[in-house]
Amino acid sequence: MKISPKIVIFLIIILLSIAFPFFAGPYQQSIAKNVIIYMILALSWNMLLKTGQISFGLAGFFGIGAYASVLLSLKLGIPPILTIVLGGIVTSLVASAMGMIILRLRAMYFAITTLALGEIFRVIIHNVPNFAGGAHGLILPGVIFDGNGLYTYWLFLGAALFSIGLSYYFDKSKIHLALTAIRDNETTAKVRGIDIFKYLLIVFTITAGMQGIAGGLYAQSFGFVTPESSFSGDFILLPIAMALLGGIYTTAGPVVGAIVLGVISEYLKLYIPYGHLIVYGLIIVIVILFMPNGIIGALYVKIDGRKTFGKVDQPNE
Amino acid sequence: MTKAKRLFLSGGIFILALIIFIWRPTILIYGIQRAGLYAAVALPMALVLGIVHIVNLAHGELLMVGAYLTYFVSVTFGLDPLIALLPVAVVMFLLGMVIYKLTIKHTLKAPELNQLILTFGLAMVLGQSVNLIATSQPRTLTVDYVSTSLSIGELTFGVYDFIFPATALIILGGLLFFLRKTRVGKAAQAVGQNPRGAEIVGIDVDKIYLIIFSLSTALVSIMGSLYLTKQSIFPLVGGPFTMKSFALVAMAGIGSLPGVLIASLVLGVSETFLLSFKGYGGWSNIVFFAFIIGVILIRSHKGKQI
Amino acid sequence: MSKLEIRNLTKKFAGLVAVNNVDLSFGGDEIIGIIGPNGAGKTTLINLVSGIFYPSSGQILIDGTDITTMPAHKRTRLGVGRTFQLIHPLEDLTTIENIMIGFIFSQDLSMKIAKEKAEMLCRSLDLDRWDRSVSQLNILEIKKMEIAQALATNPGVLLLDEVMAGLNSDELKELIGLIKKVAKEKKVAIGIVEHVMGVIKELADRVVVLENGAILADGSFQEVMKNPDVIAAYLGGGNYA
Repeated sequence: MKISPKIVIFLIIILLSIAFPFFAGPYQQSIAKNVIIYMILALSWNMLLKTGQISFGLAGFFGIGAYASVLLSLKLGIPPILTIVLGGIVTSLVASAMGMIILRLRAMYFAITTLALGEIFRVIIHNVPNFAGGAHGLILPGVIFDGNGLYTYWLFLGAALFSIGLSYYFDKSKIHLALTAIRDNETTAKVRGIDIFKYLLIVFTITAGMQGIAGGLYAQSFGFVTPESSFSGDFILLPIAMALLGGIYTTAGPVVGAIVLGVISEYLKLYIPYGHLIVYGLIIVIVILFMPNGIIGALYVKIDGRKTFGKVDQPNE
Repeated sequence: MTKAKRLFLSGGIFILALIIFIWRPTILIYGIQRAGLYAAVALPMALVLGIVHIVNLAHGELLMVGAYLTYFVSVTFGLDPLIALLPVAVVMFLLGMVIYKLTIKHTLKAPELNQLILTFGLAMVLGQSVNLIATSQPRTLTVDYVSTSLSIGELTFGVYDFIFPATALIILGGLLFFLRKTRVGKAAQAVGQNPRGAEIVGIDVDKIYLIIFSLSTALVSIMGSLYLTKQSIFPLVGGPFTMKSFALVAMAGIGSLPGVLIASLVLGVSETFLLSFKGYGGWSNIVFFAFIIGVILIRSHKGKQI
Repeated sequence: MSKLEIRNLTKKFAGLVAVNNVDLSFGGDEIIGIIGPNGAGKTTLINLVSGIFYPSSGQILIDGTDITTMPAHKRTRLGVGRTFQLIHPLEDLTTIENIMIGFIFSQDLSMKIAKEKAEMLCRSLDLDRWDRSVSQLNILEIKKMEIAQALATNPGVLLLDEVMAGLNSDELKELIGLIKKVAKEKKVAIGIVEHVMGVIKELADRVVVLENGAILADGSFQEVMKNPDVIAAYLGGGNYA
């Protein structure tokens, strides 16, 4: 196999990100960890979006992963890293059970039902105080790796690379063909032999698992969960803004979007402590109106005019 | 739905209501008051969905903005909120026009995906703007007449809250009159059924959309003002209204305004029913979700793609 | 060699009978022409066989297997292929990817083999711009792509729904030749819905006439055209124009 410049660049980026803690301070590292959490969420949201369905269920599955991980640590004494993985599996199981019902829905029905998921899980947690700590949440005796920043960062980085790899596989394998066919025309897709429900269920389950893992990472590195913080709407708003800005239907888009917006938002936080999230809302509105293909889409169009990103058309009067 | 089925359904609901009324009258009374609030908030969403064919995920946020404006107008000018709601509704009508012209209009021909993401973005912009200007601290307006109560025999209950079902009925009646009797309303109905056909016969579709969207914004703002008289408000207060309104519109079936009333009644009474049990009240907030799932299961059992 | 059997098939839409007690079998490398006035139920019949709708009553069998209530993607695997009257290409995929879909999802082939097979299929159909996006194809190429898409699922029975619509006479001739070739070489039974009588005359071994959802006549082209009921349906009905 030839070594293409693309692979070389990719390897250099990976090496640089592994070495990042050696030339960056703790503050930069904490920004990087935040970026990674949102990057995983943005990637997973985009993977499901390829089927043509919008999920607002990110916060719900993020919270489930966070709670599952903390509960497994507290009640069964399972080591943190393992609980993060198990939390992801638990989230996948919950998602596949819910998916059996809600994946019959399309478009706005699907979108709003998933939007309600976060709210529903939050209410459930609130109402089982003996099991899940109710409104006060749960506190872990310590954070993962006893607060060792280096190991924690590498764990996060590993999760990010895993997510990127998964998303890339979705872009290059037959799953890409199945999902794109489903998005373009379900009738054609099923008449050509694609089991639509099966593929929707696979993607829904896998992406929910990624969201659960992000939740577990978050909970284990901060050492607590509460219904309000773990199911926060921020985990819907930020990833969607990032994926849109970067460019949907690609793997590079959510990654670039998460890095760009994640870093910008740290500065915004300093200047506008309350309400800096308004920027994310504005980005969503502006991108969808004026550049629905995002940064990556715009680059592609610049490099070779023929590449188009499907159904997201420029607004037309 | 056939006539026999509809009769059967309303008969069933009536008998159930009667049983609850005899058993615990307050559940039914508070349930109706709650249902009124839900119905009045959901009706404008049903209107936009039926005619402009978009689901506005910023619906609840518009209610919240209306409530905040009413709060500030009332506090600044010492006005009663029930009077302040009028100028606020006018301002919100204009805001609706601006939102439509600047954003919604440009995604009408794009896939539904874009519309959903756009209105989600709008919801976030509105919520965070209020957060930025007014902070997340809850605001309460104390008005003394809201606690007026009435006693019949041993039964004592708040009267003021009947303002919600009353408003719901006025909004429903007004909308039906508007859609069936006025020129603009009839045109709007034509647009809702077949935008292209309406365009061909010379109806200015864009103008109809503008009017309907702004009208819906003004109506939901009025409900925000009324909500403020009873409850404290904060930037996130609107979100659940979007979801519950949509659940009601979906239960009623898109395009059916009177159906929203019945769906609200079912939801309102079910919630108060749960709230009447000590320790289980917290679960009342997921009743609407159970209804959504129920509706999905029933409709998909009948083999319909929703 | 496959065989499609349709028994007493009926489909009602809210009181309207779109397909009425239809009995029809064909198979092997037979080409069946399905004709009838607008609204006779031709496309509904294809939709019922391919699993877009489910019938109100009756049975559909392919090679003896009952597929009446089977989901569409499973019927495809058993050998039911079709094209659409209103073309439905997958716009976000390239032409070759559109065709690979059938090989991959109905025959479980790998991406690599599917690609090779799809290219071979394109060559045999004279569809050489397979690396383009669908939006760059002309109408004849899109029609060929639709047929290739269906052939990629390895159908035993192929249903073509007004595949000639929008073509000029040269293009018509080319596609007719292609369909003949496909039927003979791939041993596919073809059911073709068509308005252009010339196409039916040229292609069909047997012609079935539908009117108001029911079969009015079934026989050779010459027989059917002499049938007074058929003449009445086409000329006398008046409201079908």
